[in-house]
Amino acid sequence: MTDPRVLSFINLHAILGSIPLLCALDPVSAALVGKHTIDLGIAVKGGPSGCLSFSEGRCSFREDCDDDCDIRLSFSRPERFNGMIDGTVTPIPTKGLHRVLFLTKVFIPLTDRLTAFLRPTKEALADPDFFRISTTLMFHLIVRAVCCIGNEDAIGCASASYITDGAVCLSAGEELAFVICAKDHRLSVSADPQKETITAQMRFADMKTARALFDGEINAVASVGTGDVRIRGMISQVDNINRILDRVALYLA
Amino acid sequence: MHDIHQYTKSKEAFSRAARVIPSGIYGHQGPAEGCFVPIEAYPFFSERAQGSYFWDVDGNRFIDYMCAYGPNILGYNDPEVDEAARRQREQGDCITAPSERMIEFAELLVDTVASADWAFFAKNGNDATTGAILCARAHTHRKKIVFFRGYYHGVAPWTQKIDYPGILEEDVANNIYIPWNDVEALHRVFDENKGQIAAVIGQPYMHGNFADNELPAPGFWQTVRRLCTENEAVLIVDDVRAGFRLDLAGSDHYFGFEADLICFCKALANGYNVSALCGKEFLKNAMSSLSYTGSYWLSAVPFAAGIACINKMKRLDLPRLLAEKGERLCAGLIGAAKQYGYDLRVSGAPSLFYLRLADDPSLSLHQEWISECVRRGVYFTCHHNHFMNASLSDADLAETVAVAEEAFSVLRKRHG
Repeated sequence: MTDPRVLSFINLHAILGSIPLLCALDPVSAALVGKHTIDLGIAVKGGPSGCLSFSEGRCSFREDCDDDCDIRLSFSRPERFNGMIDGTVTPIPTKGLHRVLFLTKVFIPLTDRLTAFLRPTKEALADPDFFRISTTLMFHLIVRAVCCIGNEDAIGCASASYITDGAVCLSAGEELAFVICAKDHRLSVSADPQKETITAQMRFADMKTARALFDGEINAVASVGTGDVRIRGMISQVDNINRILDRVALYLA
Repeated sequence: MHDIHQYTKSKEAFSRAARVIPSGIYGHQGPAEGCFVPIEAYPFFSERAQGSYFWDVDGNRFIDYMCAYGPNILGYNDPEVDEAARRQREQGDCITAPSERMIEFAELLVDTVASADWAFFAKNGNDATTGAILCARAHTHRKKIVFFRGYYHGVAPWTQKIDYPGILEEDVANNIYIPWNDVEALHRVFDENKGQIAAVIGQPYMHGNFADNELPAPGFWQTVRRLCTENEAVLIVDDVRAGFRLDLAGSDHYFGFEADLICFCKALANGYNVSALCGKEFLKNAMSSLSYTGSYWLSAVPFAAGIACINKMKRLDLPRLLAEKGERLCAGLIGAAKQYGYDLRVSGAPSLFYLRLADDPSLSLHQEWISECVRRGVYFTCHHNHFMNASLSDADLAETVAVAEEAFSVLRKRHG
């Protein structure tokens, strides 16, 4: 029911693609990056490629991995890359082998930190700061995963084929908002949400509601009736994004 | 100024419902699928209905332009239909052997519906459309079905889309989707699937949600009819929604062609639960061959109600009456919008009009206007076509336009 190629897009764009936000939200992660200035490229044959650029405690992500990166991790097929994410495959750099310490001392601890936020314990979530960072990262990951699935997964593409052009704002309370743009049935996360003309909205009452929905503790359709989830605008866009959201759970289970 | 409705009891009832019913209210009448934007503007539960009105559990009255999503065509609790049902109930309803009302109802449908040589009864529109697909496949021994994008033919797995929860790829593997009004696409799929297409199924015109409704282009249905005949595919008209509101002889008759199978429900018995699949003689044996029945499908009370309903619709020349009321109402609504500088678009047939405020492509402004109408006692929806019924009086239409005007004035004040 899931496609390893689609999972490789999610693993790169949504999971590793969350490291920039992790560094921005979590001082421990920012400190791990510290003074390092390194471009880490990842290329998956038959799948995605991208580059994480680390500098001055910050990180950014861009699609495509060019030859200029300092370290390059190449994978012969999506399953190998997915294996690195789930810890069953140890990658060997095809470029920048001498910088392997960055991988072991910075990159892997960063991914461990990310995992702690994305697969949190109940006890950890009791801390309000941890809860905020964890939920923000999870929201970001889900929104990016929606785009990967809508663009790459056969059933997700069917949902995207019904989404008319526009910008759908997904938000939690006043503090958190992401915008998914649809253009010619391709989905992307807006880099500048303020500039988008919003055509539809799905708003969770607050971060707790968002968390409960992500964790499957409450149902989105039932929550519309209680007002915990509010939809407006071009609701067919929200409907179809919700259908893709169902598949996010399948891929991230 | 109209009173603004409050929904305290509706809210309480919904909280109770959500504890024991999935989604509280599921499906098209619920707040999610029913697009209650915002939920504070809409009642959740009704207490009673009469004529063109329903009252919610808080005692608010609504002029109802959804008509239970279509079944209410003569007016809620129509005395003639209810009397026929009452008399039959005294005699019996769900009995081991069916009543002769079933024969009378089938005879009446065959006499009324232009393309009907026989009638087969069930409960919901979905039963009729599913029966039609089974019949087409039984007759042709083929698998594939052609749909027009934007369709709604019920909720059985074959009608749903591949990305819907609970639907398997196999459920929809034989579905072919083409754009509405696109005869070239139909030519192409017949060429690409020679000898494989069992049926083409379509609503008489495109009354999809969130978009202006679209009538058939001139000659469209006639070409579809010809291609189906040439390719020995069954032509199914899903007249569940529009049936009897355009033409008592069937919406295929209204648009000048003949379906092989035609599905009715909603307006068939003014709210009594019965649906009908009518068909041509050459498909009667295929229909007979199906293993297709249900515990309540041959109940007599809805048949008696259906007979009374059709007879009354004929007497009233109902499609003409509804078209006339619908045209008058829509003209009033457009005028009210203009008065406040808004551009209200009306599409579809006047008896099933669809509304859209063209001033905001996101539909948010439209949703706001609709919600202000609902708060003031006119029940419109923001995503779906509406339904006229025979009991709507001139005073109802005038009150509706007055409420619409007030709602537009609120929008103008709010948005400048």
